[in-house]
Amino acid sequence: METSLTLNDVSWRHTVRDYSSWKPWAKKDGPGIHSINLEIHKGQILGLIGPNGAGKSTLMKAICGLYDCKGFDKTCTSRRIGIGYMPEQVRWEGRISVRNTLKTISLMREETVDVGSIIQIVGLSSKSDHHLDNLSQGMRQRLSLACALIGNPKILVLDEPLNGLDPLAQRAFSNLLESLASKGVSIIISSHQVADLEMLADRVALLHHGQLLIEGTLSTVRENLGLDDNSGILEMICSATGIDPGDVSLELSNDDLLPFKQLGGEEE
Amino acid sequence: MSAFTLGWHIMKERLSAGRMLVIWPLLAIFIIFSSWGLSDPKADLLSGLTIDSAYDVMFASTAFIGLSATMGAVLISFDGISRDRLSGVLEIKLSQPIERSKYARSLLIGHWGAIFFPVLILNLFSLAIIWHRMNELPSVEEFFIYTLGTGLLLLWYTSIQLLASSWAKDMGSSIAIGLGVWMTFTLLWLVLTTVVAGLSGVGVENLNSSEYVEIGGMVDLFSPNGVYNHLLELPLTGVDRGISPLASTIAAIVWSVLPLQLFIRRIERMHP
Repeated sequence: METSLTLNDVSWRHTVRDYSSWKPWAKKDGPGIHSINLEIHKGQILGLIGPNGAGKSTLMKAICGLYDCKGFDKTCTSRRIGIGYMPEQVRWEGRISVRNTLKTISLMREETVDVGSIIQIVGLSSKSDHHLDNLSQGMRQRLSLACALIGNPKILVLDEPLNGLDPLAQRAFSNLLESLASKGVSIIISSHQVADLEMLADRVALLHHGQLLIEGTLSTVRENLGLDDNSGILEMICSATGIDPGDVSLELSNDDLLPFKQLGGEEE
Repeated sequence: MSAFTLGWHIMKERLSAGRMLVIWPLLAIFIIFSSWGLSDPKADLLSGLTIDSAYDVMFASTAFIGLSATMGAVLISFDGISRDRLSGVLEIKLSQPIERSKYARSLLIGHWGAIFFPVLILNLFSLAIIWHRMNELPSVEEFFIYTLGTGLLLLWYTSIQLLASSWAKDMGSSIAIGLGVWMTFTLLWLVLTTVVAGLSGVGVENLNSSEYVEIGGMVDLFSPNGVYNHLLELPLTGVDRGISPLASTIAAIVWSVLPLQLFIRRIERMHP
């Protein structure tokens, strides 16, 4: 299968304030992603799953060229040309119309784009001249998707795109993604709910604490982890890390609970 | 596509923002009314300034431009980056293939244009008022220097404010930095000049003494408003604050390049 993008040992650590130092400007390495190896195939939908703080958004931003990290077969600039990115929960606001917003983004892609057709694809025709302040959350999600579609990208990176959409819009959204994938667009979509990706994703990649735990088709992943068809993300993580589901508490998001070393890696 | 195309688009967006409903009247009151008042032949200025020509009126009115237009630049640009950053829109914008330096220049052009063009339009109205009241117009050279100086002043404030907006984690911090800079250069600069003069052994009892005026001229090179004044003094005869036109020009270039380069560098390295 043709590969659109290859990730080879991609790592990125956020820089955070070092409170142990008296200097207000002191920084230290924070959470991030750790040694990710992944292939993005043409025309396939890859689902990134993992709990909050797993590193899904960081990985997506790295793929989109927002972080200048090594390990990609393409440079940051060339990745930006071929990738359309939809971040999670963008709060569009202001007295600017939907059409003008898309025009700004198309100018930034340095391409001549038929903004009207993209507005139509995402179902915002009736709102094209409305101000951003007047859009509902669902409409804002559509606008973010429209931004990602500008310039016919070869890879679409969508961070939790189904959040805030009603079931009807979710179905329409899924149909749109399937149609784009059938035209050869590679799609990376993240979610913290396996059910969201069950019908949509050709492959899934399970992330936890910045590490890629397992990757493959959903059935293969479940089979390898010894899980049944109804198992969700919690069961997957518990199975992959050896944690007893009965011991799981809200501290699951605590960085100390599952350090890299337990996963066979090494905490930096 | 050039930075100007995107800058023009950003400028139109900023001009349609709700805050322009406040900025337009503010500018109009300061610029138009100051021209009207200063061009009155019976005007008696407290500072002892004498108004003999159309350019004198324009020069005196720069005190009002220095207050209102620079404040307008701060109000237009304070959320130029920080708002997009907080809302998540910056992630979308920075993931586009446009060169980051070009995007930074577009932002600067757009935000600068959104304050410069209203000021320019109001300045043209001022000219009409001066002509109506004094039956006299400044020369083309004088108007050029005046417009260039005003454009540069607004460029400096815009680039400083955009830089602050890119540093700030929230819009409150951004406007606090902007207002702090504005207050320092417009209101507190005289205090700073007096302190510098005092530390240099120059008496501060008489602010019109030649030593104090020279120190003031020197200190002004480190302030956008001060350099603006130096530039506008170029066509005036009988004004000598000990600063050569070359020094004023170099200061203007440094003020144009330094904040802009810092801003471009900041955008190039920014992680949303």
